[in-house]
Amino acid sequence: MARYQHADGSTSRRDFLKLAAVGAAGVSAEAAWRPRRADAKPAQITFMRESSYVKEFDEHFKNVLIPRYQQETGIKIVYEIIAAGGSAVPRTVAIVESKAPVDAGWMQQEWLYREGLLDVSDIAEEVGKKQGGWYPEIKSQSVWEGKWKTVPFGNIGQAMVYRRDWFDQAGITTFPDTWEEFLEAGTKLKKAGHPYGMSMGHGFADNNSWLLPLLWGFGGQVVAKDGKTITLDSNETAKAVDYVRKLYKDACIDDCIGWLDPANNKAFLTSQISCTNNAMSILISAKRDLPDMGKVTDHALNPKGPKGRFHSLVSCNHGIFAHTPDPAAAKHFLRWLMDPKQVAAWYRSAQMYHAPYLHAYDKDEEWDKEPRFKPYHKVLETGKLVSWPAPADRRAGEVVNKWIIIDMFAKACTGTPTKTVIAEAVTGLKQIYG
Amino acid sequence: MSRVAEAARPAQPAVPSVRAFRLREWLEREAVFSWLMLTPPLLFLLAFLGYPFCYGVYLSFVRRPVAQPATFVGLNNFLHLYNDPIFWQAVWNTFRFTAAATVLKLSGGLAMALVMHQHFRFKGLTRALLLLPFIVPTVLSTVAWQWIFDPGMGMFNRLLAFFDLVKQGQGPSWLGNPTLAMVSVILVNTWRGLPFFGITILAGLQTIPDELMESATIDGAGTWGRFRHVTLPLLMPVIFIVTTFSIIFTFFDFQLVYVLTGGGPANATHLMATYAYSVGMSSGQMGMGSAAALAMVPVLGVVLLAMSSYVRRS
Repeated sequence: MARYQHADGSTSRRDFLKLAAVGAAGVSAEAAWRPRRADAKPAQITFMRESSYVKEFDEHFKNVLIPRYQQETGIKIVYEIIAAGGSAVPRTVAIVESKAPVDAGWMQQEWLYREGLLDVSDIAEEVGKKQGGWYPEIKSQSVWEGKWKTVPFGNIGQAMVYRRDWFDQAGITTFPDTWEEFLEAGTKLKKAGHPYGMSMGHGFADNNSWLLPLLWGFGGQVVAKDGKTITLDSNETAKAVDYVRKLYKDACIDDCIGWLDPANNKAFLTSQISCTNNAMSILISAKRDLPDMGKVTDHALNPKGPKGRFHSLVSCNHGIFAHTPDPAAAKHFLRWLMDPKQVAAWYRSAQMYHAPYLHAYDKDEEWDKEPRFKPYHKVLETGKLVSWPAPADRRAGEVVNKWIIIDMFAKACTGTPTKTVIAEAVTGLKQIYG
Repeated sequence: MSRVAEAARPAQPAVPSVRAFRLREWLEREAVFSWLMLTPPLLFLLAFLGYPFCYGVYLSFVRRPVAQPATFVGLNNFLHLYNDPIFWQAVWNTFRFTAAATVLKLSGGLAMALVMHQHFRFKGLTRALLLLPFIVPTVLSTVAWQWIFDPGMGMFNRLLAFFDLVKQGQGPSWLGNPTLAMVSVILVNTWRGLPFFGITILAGLQTIPDELMESATIDGAGTWGRFRHVTLPLLMPVIFIVTTFSIIFTFFDFQLVYVLTGGGPANATHLMATYAYSVGMSSGQMGMGSAAALAMVPVLGVVLLAMSSYVRRS
C-alpha cells in the first residue's frame, strides 16, 4: 500500500494538492486576457444595453438584429443586458473603471465618463448626414471638446400621462395648458378621489422630467450658461417651490414624494392616480394588459409656465469604450446598427418609444399609427438636457445623482420653509461647483 | 501493519529519488501543510478584500473622477464631506437605523428562540419557515415589501382599513412620509435579520444543561427567575457575538434601502452606504465616494475592538 493512499480509497493530501494545482492552473489559463492580433477578425463583440420597458424593442434587437449581423459578418454579438431602473449608469461607470471586457453599449449620462469613450465623430456625422441631421440639443450631450463621444439614438420622452375619463368627469375636457390650470384641475380631481401622482423621490427620470421643466417654466435655473455661476436662489425658484408645495398638498397622492421610477407606472395602472409624468410605457402596458384602461389613457405636453413650456430629455445613445481591443470592429457594428436598414425597424419595433434624434423620422408613418404618441415626438422641440442652460458636464451629473433639486422640492412638500430648502440646495450646489 | 508482518516483509528496493522523498516528507509536516491550506483563502482575501480596501484608502486621498487621472488632494475629500449636510444626514440616519433595527432584532430574536426552544407540534417545520426571510434574496423580498407598503393596494393599509383604523384609500404613506419611511426600512431590516438572531440564540439555548434549570426550580426560582439568573447569563456570549455581527451587517446595509426608497424621500432614509454609492458610482466621483465609504470604517473598528476585548476576557 502506498504510504499516502488511504485505506478507504479517499483522496490523500497529495492528491488533493495536485487536483487543486491543476484546477487553479486551468482557471488562470481560462481567465488570462489575450489581446487579439490587430489583423485578426474578431470572433465576437460584447454589447451592453439596459433592458427596455418595451419588450418588443429588446426582442427585435435580440432576435432580428444580432442574428442578422452574425449572418452577414460571422461575428458573434454577446449581448449583456442590464436591468432597467437606474443600474445602467453605475454599471457603465464600473465598466470604464475596471476596463471590463465590453466593447460598446448603450450610454446614458455619458458626461460622467466621456474620457473613457472613443471618438465616434466619423459615425455620428455620417449617420446624421444620411438621415436628415440631428436635433441640435442632443449635440450638447454627445459632443465634447469638439468630438462626438456617442452616437445619439433616441429620447425616452417624458410627458403627461392622464386618465381622460376622470378628467372628463371632472369637467376638464382639454388637458391644462398652464401650470396654474394644472393645479386647478388637480384640486378638483383629488376631491373626486383621483389625485395626481407626480414623482419626487430618488429616481432618475420621472422626477426630473416635470420638476426641472416646471422650474424652468417659472423662470428659475440651477446654474447659468457659463457652467459656473449658481443661479438657483431667485424669486422665480421660490415661486416654483411654493407652487409644488401647493400642488402636492391639494392635488397629489401623499406617497409620490418617495417614489422611485417604477412606482408611478404601478400607481397609474392600478387606478390610484389620474395623472403622472412618464414615458409612453404606461399606455403601451395598458393597451397590452388592461385594454379598458388603454382606451381612456391619454398623453399631453407639460403645461407651460410664465417663461414658456419645457421638457427634459432622457437620452439614450451608443458609444464605444476606449479600452476595447478592437475599435475598428466595434465601430463597424455601430455603423451597421445605425444604418437605416437596421435602425428604422428597430425604432418602429418599440412604437417610437425612443424618439429618434434624427430628422429623417420626423414624419415617419409610425407616428401616425397611434396619435396619442405624438406628444412624445413634440417633446424633442422643447426638450432640454437636465443641466440646461449649463453644459452637460460631470458636475451637472452630480447635481442630478445627488437629487439636490428634487430634494429641494420634496423637502418643501414636507413643510420645510421655501427659503430654507433653497438655501440647503444652494449649499449642496456649492459643494459641487465650488 | 503488525510488527510480525513488518518483519516478514521482503527488503524494500533502494529509494529511487532522494529529492522526491524529501519533498514528500516536507509536505507532510504540519506547519508546511497547514500553510499550504491557508494560502489559497489568504490569497483570495488579499485579492478580493485586501486589494479593494487598500485601493479604496488610496482613492480617498485623491481627486479621481471616472476615467481621469488621479490628483493627490490629501484630506480634502474628508473635509469636503465634513462640510456636506447630506453626508451628516446620512451618518445620523445610519446610526438611528442601526440602533433601532439591532434592538428590535435582538429582542425579537430572543423571544423567537425562547418559543422555538419549547416542544410543540410542527416544531421542525416552523423553524424552517422562520428561516425564510434570511434565505430569500434581499432584492426579491424588498420588492415584495414595496407592494406591502403600497398605500392603495398594500397589505398594511388594507389591514388598517379592515379594522376600521383608517378609511379605505386614506391609509398612511409608508414610503412617502419621511418618518414612516425610516420606520419602514427599519421594519424590513428587522424582518430579514430576525432569523439570524433567533437561530443563533436557539443554538445557545440548547447548550444550557437541563440540570441547571432543575436545580433553579428546586431552589424556588420561577420562570422569570430562571430566565434572569440562569438562561440570560449563559446566553450572554452568544448574544454578544450575534449582536456584534448584526451591528456590522446593519451599519453597512445597502441593498434594502437602495431598492425600497433609494435614500428618499428628501434623504430621509439615506444611509452612509447609499450615499457613498450615489457619490462614487452614480456621480462618478471615485475619490469622494471612497472617502464616504471609508468614513464607516472607524465604527467597524470600534465594534471589532469591543468584540475582541470581550472574547479575550471570556
